[in-house]
Amino acid sequence: MFNQPLTRRHMLQQSAVGFGSLALAGLLHEQGLASGGNTNPLAPHMPHFAPRAKRAIFLFMKGGPSQVDTFDPKPLLDRDDGKPLPFDKPRVQFAPTGNLLKSPWKFQQYGESGLPVSELFPHVAQHVDDLCMIHSLHGSNPAHGGALMKIHTGSDNFVRPSLGAWLSYGLGTENQNLPAFVTICPTLAHGGVNNWGSAFLPATYQGTPIGNASIPAADAKVKYIANSRLPRAVQELQLRQLQAVNRSHIDRSGPDDSLEARINSFELAFRMQTELPQVEDLSDETPATLAMYGMDDPVTENIGRMCLLARRFAEAGVRYIQVTHSDSLVQWDQHGDLKNGHAAKAREVDKPIAGLLADLKQRGLLEDTLVWWGGEFGRTPTAQGSDGRDHNPEGFTHWLAGAGVKPGFRYGATDDYGYYAVENKVHVHDLHATILHIMGLDHERLTYRHAGRDFRLTDVEGNVVHEILA
Amino acid sequence: MIARCAAAFAIFLAVMSSSPGLRGADDNDAKRKSLEFFESRVRPVLVEHCQKCHGPDKQWAGLRLDNRASLIDGGESGPAVTLDDVSQSLILKAVRHDPDASPMPPEGKLTPAQIADLETWIRDGLAFPEGAKVGGLPKPDPNHWSFQPPTDPEVPSVRDTAWVRTGVDAFILSELEKKGIVPAPEADRRTLIRRVTFDLTGLPPEPKDIEAFLADERPDAWNRVVDRLLASTAYGEHWGRHWLDVARYADSNGLDENVAHGNAWKYRDYVVQSFNDDVPYSQFLAEQLAGDLLPAEDRQTRERQLIATGFLSLGPKVIAEVDEKKMQMDIIDEQLDTLGRAFLGMTFGCARCHDHKFDPVSTADYYGLAGILISTRSMESFVKVAKWYENPLPTPESEAAKAAWEQQVTAKKSEIEQFIAAADAKVRETLPEGAPAPEKLETKYPEETTKALKELRDGLAKLEKAIPEVPTAMGVSEARVSDVPIHIRGSHLKLGDVIPRRVPTNMRGPETPEFSQSQSGRLELARWLTDPRHPLTARVLANRVWRWHFGRGLVASTDNFGTLGDHPTHPELLDWLAHRLLEDNWSIKALHRRLVLSSTYRQSTEVSPATLAADLDNRLWSRFNVRRLSAEEVRDSVLATGGLLDRTAGGPVLTVPNRGYLFDHTSKDLTRYDSPRRAIYLPVIRNNVYDFFQLLDYPDPAVANGDRSSTTIAPQALMMLNSDLVMDAAAGLAKRLADEGERDDAAKLDRAYQLAYGRSPTPSEAQQQLAFLEAARRTVSETAGSEQAVDPWSILCQVLLASNEFIYVN
Repeated sequence: MFNQPLTRRHMLQQSAVGFGSLALAGLLHEQGLASGGNTNPLAPHMPHFAPRAKRAIFLFMKGGPSQVDTFDPKPLLDRDDGKPLPFDKPRVQFAPTGNLLKSPWKFQQYGESGLPVSELFPHVAQHVDDLCMIHSLHGSNPAHGGALMKIHTGSDNFVRPSLGAWLSYGLGTENQNLPAFVTICPTLAHGGVNNWGSAFLPATYQGTPIGNASIPAADAKVKYIANSRLPRAVQELQLRQLQAVNRSHIDRSGPDDSLEARINSFELAFRMQTELPQVEDLSDETPATLAMYGMDDPVTENIGRMCLLARRFAEAGVRYIQVTHSDSLVQWDQHGDLKNGHAAKAREVDKPIAGLLADLKQRGLLEDTLVWWGGEFGRTPTAQGSDGRDHNPEGFTHWLAGAGVKPGFRYGATDDYGYYAVENKVHVHDLHATILHIMGLDHERLTYRHAGRDFRLTDVEGNVVHEILA
Repeated sequence: MIARCAAAFAIFLAVMSSSPGLRGADDNDAKRKSLEFFESRVRPVLVEHCQKCHGPDKQWAGLRLDNRASLIDGGESGPAVTLDDVSQSLILKAVRHDPDASPMPPEGKLTPAQIADLETWIRDGLAFPEGAKVGGLPKPDPNHWSFQPPTDPEVPSVRDTAWVRTGVDAFILSELEKKGIVPAPEADRRTLIRRVTFDLTGLPPEPKDIEAFLADERPDAWNRVVDRLLASTAYGEHWGRHWLDVARYADSNGLDENVAHGNAWKYRDYVVQSFNDDVPYSQFLAEQLAGDLLPAEDRQTRERQLIATGFLSLGPKVIAEVDEKKMQMDIIDEQLDTLGRAFLGMTFGCARCHDHKFDPVSTADYYGLAGILISTRSMESFVKVAKWYENPLPTPESEAAKAAWEQQVTAKKSEIEQFIAAADAKVRETLPEGAPAPEKLETKYPEETTKALKELRDGLAKLEKAIPEVPTAMGVSEARVSDVPIHIRGSHLKLGDVIPRRVPTNMRGPETPEFSQSQSGRLELARWLTDPRHPLTARVLANRVWRWHFGRGLVASTDNFGTLGDHPTHPELLDWLAHRLLEDNWSIKALHRRLVLSSTYRQSTEVSPATLAADLDNRLWSRFNVRRLSAEEVRDSVLATGGLLDRTAGGPVLTVPNRGYLFDHTSKDLTRYDSPRRAIYLPVIRNNVYDFFQLLDYPDPAVANGDRSSTTIAPQALMMLNSDLVMDAAAGLAKRLADEGERDDAAKLDRAYQLAYGRSPTPSEAQQQLAFLEAARRTVSETAGSEQAVDPWSILCQVLLASNEFIYVN
């Protein structure tokens, strides 16, 4: 889809400069043309149209937070607690559920917009005037694996590039010393690496994982980013020698795109090795900032750190950042004991997320950063056992905030009990199309040819939800 | 899912309609948009709701809705469409359920959006693809080159006959001569032996083998090197791995529930062995599709053939899919897609929902093939979490163990019976004369007897549970033979006509086989595929082998020989190779020799400005391409050079039991990749491929792939600089140099170069490296402190292992 710039070989041929011209190599490097063999695939690209957001942060709540207990209050569900659902359940359900179960939490309206939020999110509630809630999201898979892959890649039965990989491919990145797409403590279950992978897109577009969900954020590192054995001075010396050896090799064997590219990749790697730890080093943050993210409280410390890292990566020019709220246990997946489970999960994320929104805003970053919150599906308004809720992809709430979306806005609706999306339905493909649109990309034009076919994130679906755009 | 190919189709239309013509760009653009709209919004409605009664098969009320002219001409009730008064079009009245028209479709009203789409489509001019009927358009080209039987072309004559060593050279040189290009000179022997050793075995040459080749003055020295390599077990480990890419081999399911393929390694070992034994490809193919249906002379053969069917079973499956029928069709879809790509270079997946837009594969063809697989047992159970089927592979040992176990059980049972009889007798003795015996004498046992009996019974229960395990292997077997109805738009909820089992009929070549009523039809499918007249099978394989030797296929899209795939750069050469393959009874090793012994293969990578100008991208093979080692080659040669590679072959690799979770809800990674064995014997875990491999372009093991990419990214460099693997190997190499005896730095450096690069350093290199060694010694001593001092030799060795010369082959 993008015009392929001249390969180095074409340049050499056409410029008639001859071979082994380091001057030319330097020139190409300055123009950012040399590091990928033909072109730097991560150089910033011109979007299809003026972007509303330059970068995005996805706060992914693994397990499936319940819409009717968080952001989508249903008075009739309260009223009809214990009664049967007055309409049919879906043809395909993950497991059978019983009668209606009212929410254990009260809702209250907040801010000028008066958007309702339950007691689970008292801190996020303070920011409702920045949120754009989509109540009518729906997906197509009631199992974690399929639903995770659908949310992350648009496909629940084939391995496809993730949203972040498509964004890296479409937009490149603003900081060449950092990856275009980082994912902080992602889960290795339910699709695992596919959820940040590049599938058939070139590997350079895949997400760079920082730790995984079983590792505390404080210990999470990019693999191979540091050398545990060599002092820095020794490693610098070693790298200089390596590059000298590589140069003398290329002088003997003649110019070659891939050999040049590999020499440059070592330079970039060393810069990345220097810069990434600096971004991850929180020692220059004030105690007030740390407290704002809840890092002074063991319950919120872990997610607080991830949210703060997300802000720092955003500031440093990373295009797409994912934070995953998961752990080694059950996440937001309360098939039973909804009350304690959801309360504990919400407590872990509420303050850090509010802190992130406040911090982005005070730094002016919210103006060109899109924040996206949600799980892989919602939960049933009907009870599983006596006090749980099952998976429900038929209608659930995600919210967006920041660049490009209407603040303090609700869009779409579920039915009276919160089971199905019924009004202004937004499919996961529509949400993806909308997010690409906000980032300046037309989801129908962002294509990649693989095995003789052109693929896109939204397959053949997806409509941009213009109504929520600012 | 429903129309995952339509994006490709829309682009295709865009390309077609944007070709220069008489109309202006805007017209073209509008037309393209209308066609896209038709494809995405209208065609599905017509196909699903209208065509069954108003299409090619039936024309109720004389009406046909599958082409533009028929819509305008209409049927018995008049024109279906009135372009000058769109809203009054009969078709719209019918779908709106207007009182003056018959309400359509009969099974229920269309959605308002669908009705609006129909109206928009008519209003915008009733766009139809040109010359199109709704069923299968645009017409796939039945004359497409790859669907024609291969010719057996004459070897062309060339001017420089001395250059021609095998038939390959004549075809290559004849094209080069036409363009006035002189092939690159032959590479030197050091380069050649390094190239061919990596190419055939995936490992670097040993210094002693290099020296032997350099010293060998016999005219067939090169042939001897090739023969030696082809006879080595490392050959099968390397070329078997190529096939595993195509077979989307993995030791775990991946997708939603990442459970262990605990017995997949048997298929992997089967593949390695088949390459080493040079099993004819026709047999290799038939075993993988229908090994369970082939005759077997002995148990080993039978076992091998059952293991081979793992090919069909290894795909990723959504095993927590709640909809069991959908799961079954998804699994069949994956099997069809894989076998289509692997053996035919065809993408069958498109035809699940609609006739293939580009290739002669109709929906009926697809469901004809699906019938073969629905008649095949791939699954033990579809109930989530579903289980794939495994064939039992009883061995004499397992049979003996089972017999011994059965004997023990019988003995235990009779021991218990005797015990009861004796105890009962004792109880009866205590009963008063003539009194009726209680129904259960056991209730009257004394306490110690009861206790002893319980112990005996517990022992039996324990024994019965300890049933000796019979080995099994992933694979398929036969299911009830049945045919599959067309799934309209791919949905198992909307079924059409039942399609008797068959193969795609539009490819020119062998006739459609007769399918047995008592077997699934996999055997007939395998025989059809390996029929010498088949246009694709031999070509696809010959091209794959070419690709793996030369870095790019004669057909660059190795897995797509359809109309969207690439055209061959040398069609005659490809056909010639396909014919030789048949002549050689499908011997892959014979094919290797034809390629590797050629002058084409022995060219150097050097390129003159004139050649570069005439053959910029080396489409004509005017030289050899520089190649970066594959992920496995990088790892194995790093370990081998460091003296750490363990050459133990075959066997299981997982720490998790069969069907056990690699990852459940947790993200704890239990997979170990620190084994020092060859890369092919490391676990292949979907969703979590070894990062060292993933960074070096290891293919996604969920999808058949015969054409790996080779990218250069900074994280690869980080890995070479900082990973334990590379640093351990560097330390290993340093130790190896030290262990080999007291020598000075210069001698050690020479040996290090021999081991890493297969050559000695030039004097200036040696000088430069020795200066570096001194500098490293100084810096190490200056920075030595809390940490253990680093061996400067190991720092230098890491430079060698991380260098371009080590990672690239000329």
